[in-house]
Amino acid sequence: MNALLQIAARSAWNRRGTLALVVLSIALATALLLGLERLRSDIRSSFSQAVSGTDLIVGARTGPVQLMLYAVFRVGGATNNVSMDSVRAVAAHRAVSWVVPISLGDSHRGYPVLGTTPEYFARFAYGERQPLALAQGRAFSGTLDGLYEAVLGAEVAQALGYGLSQRITLAHGLGGVGGELAAEHADKPFTVVGVLARTGTPVDRTVHVSLQAIEAIHLDWVGGAPLPGMKIAPEHARKFDLEPKQVTAALVGLKNRAAVFNVQRFVADYEAEPLLAVLPGVALDELWAAVGLGERALMAMSGLVALVSLASLVAVVLAGLNERRRELAVLRAVGAGPRHVLVLLAAEGALVTGLGALLGAAAAATAVVLAGPWVQERFGIALQATAPTAAQWGLFGAVLLAGMLASLVPGLRAYRLSLADGLSPRT
Amino acid sequence: MLDIRDLRFTWPGAPDGSGRLAIQHLHLAAGRTAFLYGPSGCGKSTLLGLMAGVLVAQSGSVSLLGQDWAALRGGARDARRADHVGVIFQQFNLLPYLSVQDNVLLPCRFSALRAGRCAGGPAAAARALLQQMGLPAALWPRPASALSVGQQQRVAAARALIGAPELVIADEPTSALDAALRDEFMTLLLGECRAAGSTLVFVSHDERLAARFDEQLSLPALNRAAEVVQ
Repeated sequence: MNALLQIAARSAWNRRGTLALVVLSIALATALLLGLERLRSDIRSSFSQAVSGTDLIVGARTGPVQLMLYAVFRVGGATNNVSMDSVRAVAAHRAVSWVVPISLGDSHRGYPVLGTTPEYFARFAYGERQPLALAQGRAFSGTLDGLYEAVLGAEVAQALGYGLSQRITLAHGLGGVGGELAAEHADKPFTVVGVLARTGTPVDRTVHVSLQAIEAIHLDWVGGAPLPGMKIAPEHARKFDLEPKQVTAALVGLKNRAAVFNVQRFVADYEAEPLLAVLPGVALDELWAAVGLGERALMAMSGLVALVSLASLVAVVLAGLNERRRELAVLRAVGAGPRHVLVLLAAEGALVTGLGALLGAAAAATAVVLAGPWVQERFGIALQATAPTAAQWGLFGAVLLAGMLASLVPGLRAYRLSLADGLSPRT
Repeated sequence: MLDIRDLRFTWPGAPDGSGRLAIQHLHLAAGRTAFLYGPSGCGKSTLLGLMAGVLVAQSGSVSLLGQDWAALRGGARDARRADHVGVIFQQFNLLPYLSVQDNVLLPCRFSALRAGRCAGGPAAAARALLQQMGLPAALWPRPASALSVGQQQRVAAARALIGAPELVIADEPTSALDAALRDEFMTLLLGECRAAGSTLVFVSHDERLAARFDEQLSLPALNRAAEVVQ
C-alpha cells in the first residue's frame, strides 16, 4: 500500500499542471467556505457581544427586534418616545437596581449621537460583562458647566481623526457617514473630553453626550425644525430647565435576574403609556434568526462553489483516465489488483483535495489576519485570528470527505476498466 | 510449469464471439521459450491475460506452478502474479514519471518474494540487469520518458526479469523496433530468460523470429472455439 501511495504521489506530480488548477479551485472553495464561516461566527459574536449586563431594555411599545436594533445597534428608528415619568416609575420598582435612559435621533457626520447620563459609562457592559473603558480623557460630567461635553466611540475618533478638545457640532436626524456637515446645531458646539477604548460594538460608532445637552440643543427647535426668529445662545441655554421630559429608551439592571419576567410584566401592564421591555438575549436571538436567512444563503453559495470544484476534480481525473489505462495495465501486470487501482485513483483525489483544503485553510487564515483591521474599521466586525472553530473543522473535514468520495467516481471507473482490460487496454 | 486444460473463455458482450478461446491442452515446461503467433483478433492477448491470472477462464483450468488461477481469490491472484509473472508490453511499457531504475524495481515493490530473490538486494539487481541490457548508468536515474523506444523495451525486459519470475510474458514487444534493434532485443531477452531459468511466452506476428524459440505455438491451431460452437 505504501508503494502505491508513493506511486500515486509521483503520478500526480507528473500531471501537476492540470492538478494544480484543481488544487487551486478546491483551495478557493475551501477558503470561501472557511472565511464565510469565520465571518458568520464573528458577526454573530459581534451581535451577541453588543450588550451584556443589561437585563431589560424598556421603550415605547413596538417590536422587540426593532427596539433592540434602535437602542443597541442604532439601526432604524423609534416609533415613539418614553416619558421620563415612566422611566422613573420603572426605576422605582423594587426589583430594579439601576436605570440608564438613552436618547437617540441626532448625529455627527453620520455617526449616531447618544444622549445619556454619566452612569451609562459605569453601567453599560459588552462582551463578557466588560465595562466601557476610556482610552483618553474622561466621561462627560453631566453638570451644567460641562453641558457641551462629548465622549467619542473609538471608531468615530479614528475615522474622523478626532482627539481631546476637538470641537464638534451635532446634526438633527441621521446623515450618511462621511457626509456633508449638516450644521443645524452649529450654534452649540461640543468639546470632546473623552475617547472610549475599542469595544467591537456599536458603541465604537457613537458620539455620547448628556441628556441635558440633547435638551439644550433642541430648546429653539420644535417639531424637528428650528423655531423661526428664536435663537438661544449656548450659555443662555443653561438657564432653562434641561431635565428631559422624554427619552428614546432605558437600559435597566435588576437586583436579581430572577425578577426579570416580573419587571417585564410590570412594564407591559404599565397604564400611563404603552411600553415594552425586551430581554436583550431573546431579542438578539430573534434578530439573528431574521438575518440568519442571508447567512444560510451565503453558506449555500459557498457550498455550491465547493461542489463545482470537486466536480472539476472528478472531471479532470475522469478525462485523464483513458490516457492512463496503459499505466494502470502496467501496474496490474506487476501485481496491482483492481482494488489497488481504485486506491491509487482515490489516493490521488485525496492528495489533491487535502492539498487544496490545506491551502484554502491557510488562505482563509491569512485573509483574516490581513483583512481583519480593515473589516473592523469598515464594518465594526472584529474578525478573530484564532484557532479554527468546531464548525470550521467540520467544514474542513466535509471538504476532505467530499473530495475523497468524489475521487472514488474515477476510481470505480478505473476499477471496472482494469477488470475489463486485462493486460491489454481495449480502447 | 504452465498447464492449460479444457480452457473456455469468452469476453462478456463480445460481438460474434471474437476473442473466444477453447484450448484442450497446452503445457509448457520450466525454462522453455515459446513463440505464440496468429492473426490479429485471434485471442493472443486474451490468452496471455489468462496465463498471467489477470483474466479467469469460464471453465477449464490455467495452472501456474501447479496452482489453478481460478481457485484463487482476486487479491491472492494479484499477489501470485506479482511473485511469479513478469510482463513486457508492446509499447507504453514504462511509467513515465518514474526513473529508469524505479521502473525496473516496480515488481519488487509489490512482491517481497521477488525482492528477496535479488542477490545483493533489489537496487543492486536492477542495476545489474540494466547493465546486462546494455543501458549506460547515466540513464538509470533519468525519467523513463526520456529514453528511446528501443531503450524503453530493454528497461521493460529488465523489469519483467527482476527477481527471476518463473513465467515471463511478452506481448509483441518488438513490433515498434527496427530490424537491428529487434534482433539485439531478442538476443538479450532470450539470453536473460535462459540465464534466469524463466519460461518465456512471446507473442508476435513476425514469424521470422519463431526459429529462435524452443516451441512454436499457432493459436488458431490450438484454439478449437469454432469447433466447440459447431
